[in-house]
Amino acid sequence: MLDILKRIINISERELRAFLSRPIFFVCLVVAPILFLTLFTSMMNSGLPTKLPAAVVDEDNTHVSRAVVRILGSMQETDIVQRYSDFTSARKAMQRGEIYAIFRIPRGTTHAALTSRQPKISFYTNDSYYVAASLLMKDMRKLSELAGLAITRETLRAKGVNERAIMPILQPIVIESHPLGNPYLNYSVVLSNLLVPGILMLLILLSTSYAMGIEWKRGRQKDLLNVAGGNVIVAVWGKLLPQTLLYTLLMWFVQAIFYMYLDFPCVCGMERMMLWGFLSVIASQGLGLFFYELFVGEMRMAMSACSLWGVLSFSLAGFSFPISAMELPLQWMANLFPLHHYFLLYEAQALNGYPALYEWPSIAALIGFSILPVLLLPRLKDGFINKEYAP
Amino acid sequence: MTWFVNIFKVWYNELRDIIRDEGIMIFIILVPLAYPLLYAFIYTTETQHNLPVCVVDQCNSTRSREFIRKVDSTPEVRIAGNAMNMAEAQELLRKREVSGIIEIPRSFDRDLAHGKQVVVGVFSDLTSMLYYKVMLLGVTNVAQDMNRDIKIRNYIRPTSRREEKVARMPIDFEHVQLYNPQGGFSAFLIPPVLMLILQQTLFLGIGMSMGRTRERNRGLVIPPHSDYKHVVSVVLGKALLYFCLYIVLAVYMCVVVTHWFGLPQLMHWDVFFGFMVPYLLACIFLGFCFSTFIFRREDCILLFVFMSVPLLFLTGVSWPGAAIPEVWQWVATIFPSTFGCNAYIRAGSMGATLGDIHHEVMAMWYQAGFYFLLACLIYTWEIRRAVGRTVLG
Repeated sequence: MLDILKRIINISERELRAFLSRPIFFVCLVVAPILFLTLFTSMMNSGLPTKLPAAVVDEDNTHVSRAVVRILGSMQETDIVQRYSDFTSARKAMQRGEIYAIFRIPRGTTHAALTSRQPKISFYTNDSYYVAASLLMKDMRKLSELAGLAITRETLRAKGVNERAIMPILQPIVIESHPLGNPYLNYSVVLSNLLVPGILMLLILLSTSYAMGIEWKRGRQKDLLNVAGGNVIVAVWGKLLPQTLLYTLLMWFVQAIFYMYLDFPCVCGMERMMLWGFLSVIASQGLGLFFYELFVGEMRMAMSACSLWGVLSFSLAGFSFPISAMELPLQWMANLFPLHHYFLLYEAQALNGYPALYEWPSIAALIGFSILPVLLLPRLKDGFINKEYAP
Repeated sequence: MTWFVNIFKVWYNELRDIIRDEGIMIFIILVPLAYPLLYAFIYTTETQHNLPVCVVDQCNSTRSREFIRKVDSTPEVRIAGNAMNMAEAQELLRKREVSGIIEIPRSFDRDLAHGKQVVVGVFSDLTSMLYYKVMLLGVTNVAQDMNRDIKIRNYIRPTSRREEKVARMPIDFEHVQLYNPQGGFSAFLIPPVLMLILQQTLFLGIGMSMGRTRERNRGLVIPPHSDYKHVVSVVLGKALLYFCLYIVLAVYMCVVVTHWFGLPQLMHWDVFFGFMVPYLLACIFLGFCFSTFIFRREDCILLFVFMSVPLLFLTGVSWPGAAIPEVWQWVATIFPSTFGCNAYIRAGSMGATLGDIHHEVMAMWYQAGFYFLLACLIYTWEIRRAVGRTVLG
């Protein structure tokens, strides 16, 4: 037992020396995650994007329409950057990418509204920039609805309805929304919180098969097996253990920034998320090793497979476009990505504070990924002895 | 003239090398062919329909049931469960059987009859921001519709059809979703993803071929070959190879794939080539510059793959460009994808002319020119090194 431990430590030392001698490892595993942590958190600093550029086409140009425009300009998401006298020039500005939405009040709107002839106002959003369009749509829709209600309010006043009775007539049913777990609708909480660990997990996936492959590439795999005393498990453990340590520390650092420095919601407590972070690290390592075992010796094929798989995980984890909206085969496929399970655990535990028991399939899946390489261990052993590096 | 002939010699040598290398072929042929289809398939459903939600109907009256029925019939939301109380509903939420809860208070019907406001609670799971948007939209539409009914039935009491119509909505409004006919994710995310696939696979392919050359020639970028003496012919010859291949792939992505998946395609060929040529050139020459950091062919996978996600955000498509801090906007100008994605979206989805995307096109030409000169500089240095090495060796 002591012998095995000594061998593992020997290999780990060997690995650490190799690690320190290669700048690429340092750049990819330490600099890159921290750079992206700063990128995403500073980009989404405001939580929800506000004051997005929009334009107004006020063909009516009465004091009423101007009041409507002023209200629009004061709303949370809208920044009226330009006023146009005709629609075509507004549309051209949209095509040049200067604005995301156009609010249009046609000529005669005020007159038609006052004489009960139901005018129509319209707003146009550029939905090829979906997020901005959705946010602006919310404001413009609310304003259009309110404009109509203002007319009704005047009608009711003219009929002599008591001021206090007017609101229940205008809006008998009020919808009160409660976004659970993220009441400020902070996009950073949803996106940064998963993008940064996601990138880290992708890097772990790649660098695990890179670290394994480099032994074959330098023709030192037999030497490694010798140091391990012919035991594949010892060789793999010794090799991957220092990486496990480093990645786990990085993951915890990222989580500490999120939950302690930026105060993102973490109902379940920091230590619980640290546990899931650790499980995700070893799950990614397991998957990376598994891919290497599949292509043992062919480092580049293994890394290609890892990268093709890893890049997909951002789409199939389900935090941008929901899994439930995808086609059925993709819904099954989503379970094959560790990031998806980290996401489910994060959402249930940190965001909503549900007991971990509800997410047992995800916990099981993460553990499953980390022991997946055991299946192909004989193949890896065979590879250590018989396979040479294949470019 | 020899340097001109050498362009084609270099082109031929590189072509022969790449065709034999299946690792490179995966990234520059297989990925650009297959990934667009995969991504289009992921987002083909466009948006969330029939989101399962649960109702806690504490009122249980004709009117509250009418409300629930109407919510159920919206395209956005589907009533997937009834719960007696909030605790029970939350249990369904935890088990992920539903993604939201609608709570109708006990006093719903009575308050409406008495002319008081009632508050209906909508609790939405934030697993995805889309859940929140969809659920709120569906329920709000129903509430507004019922509000109008109540208003005219109880208070305004119109006397004619025409008057009823006006009383329901004194000012009508319409929301026009431009440039994205389905109003969904596909027409929004696929165009930038296509452009990013072009750029990233180019970086990977060029980087791998560089790593391979270096491994073969003891760290030298320039093979010891008489065709590789003149720097411009080396750079242009290599670029020509990738350019010829990628212009075909670009047509495949922007014309064939978008056609198959019914994505908007409004541009003419002159606009397409107008922005695609500088885009590809800028990507290729930047790829040459980046590849000087690649010493082993596997290194580039480690270096380039993970950049895709941040680059998508830096384009200002998925996260509104207006909300990106200035520092990052400057960083974004390094990459052709920032301008390429926006140019393609505007030309392809929004029908912009070359004049409308002039800024982006010029930016990409500047990038192409700058990176071309930089690549030439790097290669001049490398050629000198190679010549020195051969003389000494």
